[in-house]
Amino acid sequence: MDYLLHTLVVSVIYSAFAVSLNLELGLTGLYNFGHVAFFGIGAYASALLSLAGIPAAGSLFLGMAAAGAAGALIAVPALRLTGDYFGIATLAFGEMIRLFSLNERWLTKGPMGLPGIPRPFGIHGGVSGLPFYLLLSVVLGVGVFLLAYRLTHSPFGRALKVVREDEYVAQALGKNVLSLKVRIVTVGSLLAGLAGALYGHYITYISPSDFTLNETILVLLCVVLGGRGTPWGPVLGAFLVIFFQEFLRFLPIPVDFGRVVAPLQGMVYGAALILLMLKRPEGILPEYRI
Amino acid sequence: MSTYYAQLLLNGVIAGSVYAIFAVGLTMVYGVFRFINFAHGELIAWGAYLTLLFSQVLPFSVAVAPALALTMILGISQDRCVYSPLRRRGRITLLIASIGLSYLLRNALRLVWGSDLQTYGFEAVRGISFGGLSITRTQLAMVVAALLFLGFLYGLLKFTMLGKSLRAAADNMELAELMGIDMKRVGTTVWTLSALFAGVGGILIGLDTNLEPMMGLTNLIKSFAAVLLGGAGNVWGALLGGLLIGIAENLGVAFFSPGYKDAVSFALIVLLLLFRPAGIFGIIGGVR
Repeated sequence: MDYLLHTLVVSVIYSAFAVSLNLELGLTGLYNFGHVAFFGIGAYASALLSLAGIPAAGSLFLGMAAAGAAGALIAVPALRLTGDYFGIATLAFGEMIRLFSLNERWLTKGPMGLPGIPRPFGIHGGVSGLPFYLLLSVVLGVGVFLLAYRLTHSPFGRALKVVREDEYVAQALGKNVLSLKVRIVTVGSLLAGLAGALYGHYITYISPSDFTLNETILVLLCVVLGGRGTPWGPVLGAFLVIFFQEFLRFLPIPVDFGRVVAPLQGMVYGAALILLMLKRPEGILPEYRI
Repeated sequence: MSTYYAQLLLNGVIAGSVYAIFAVGLTMVYGVFRFINFAHGELIAWGAYLTLLFSQVLPFSVAVAPALALTMILGISQDRCVYSPLRRRGRITLLIASIGLSYLLRNALRLVWGSDLQTYGFEAVRGISFGGLSITRTQLAMVVAALLFLGFLYGLLKFTMLGKSLRAAADNMELAELMGIDMKRVGTTVWTLSALFAGVGGILIGLDTNLEPMMGLTNLIKSFAAVLLGGAGNVWGALLGGLLIGIAENLGVAFFSPGYKDAVSFALIVLLLLFRPAGIFGIIGGVR
């Protein structure tokens, strides 16, 4: 039962994370391959602030703000070029943030990580706090979802879809493409930061190895599997992927094979991405097109 | 003190010549197919690891041959199985498939060889020194190999019919096809060359330092920075870009903590995107 609650909490947090990526990848067509960086910035900022004595409920939002600010900062140079360049620039940014958290020991304690992150609103760190934390993440997760839903169906969201389909058309219609993109990347980073902060306070221990390319691939798979550009797709994808991942732990795998499980899992995720692109690029829930 | 900087500069040229090999392969694929192959880094790593595999039964200099052959086959099958069917589907599909492929290949590598550092098992030899600078035999071989392969590429592109059709395809794919150039042949050549160059560079890096599953990703980011420096699709620009990246990150060691060596190329990417999006030479376009 507790394990189910745990899986649900992680699924909700990943749903929020996937929704934030979907705003960039699905709605606007920006290949952000370093989205985990903002998840990590949110987690680290919130964890450090709460360890410094700020109440965790407040640090959660400060962490979110930090990720948003980082997103806005990186978006301006990275979005000067379109297409593949943004993909590599963000991929490199993700690695850069990982290197930073590994090397700046005075701030992040390097590879040792940050233990003992308090949970907000006095929720207990152990198993007894699980239902309350689930409630908190569902409330925030629904907030993220509603915000993304409103954005998608607003004139701003429609303009973003035009940018995705054809930038020149958007320009011809008098839209400032760069500004649109910078704004959506900022929103996406804000929400990813919130998801990251929630994750950090939930797990109560973070280290640079929690925010690697693996997490980027995982969240990318969530978005692509569920359906790019749809409001529900990323949520469905996140639940499927996280439940699959947690279910694997129950398989009777002999200890000797423990070493091969992680790479095998990675191979499955990579192969799933390729197969989805080859056979069903629109995902489980295809986007409604007129 | 000046020998210290001269040594760093020399190290930069050595590292840079290998980055140049990677970058040339990456930019060639970009020049013809107009997409960044995220799995290029994995060709680097597979080239190095396959050599490790074959060198356990064969002498090292012989083991290189089947390893490179397999890397080239891997490069061609990337295109045949994944990229070619997706070519008309739009870029985002292609890019997601490409990052998925790189993840699949990297984890396959970890599955076979584990995540630990590996070496080819050569004893460390003392470098040859001259005028206070030192260079090991491996490093000398790196520069020589880079010169040989890039010279071969120059000859191919400049003087053969195949090279000319390659340049034509990079310039304008449809027009080249209309002129009766066999695009399938061009595609296969580009992938073979790109994989060959990646494999050679991977082996050289493995000889100089060590092998680890993440070597593909780190080198991919560096080669991308080199490609951007030279202007995407520009082969000779990528060559100079690679050299510059190598020099910049080695000189950077004098000023920052070595932990940030890999971050230098990222900082360069950001600066370039801000100030010279078309590359330092300001040329956008195909293989020239």
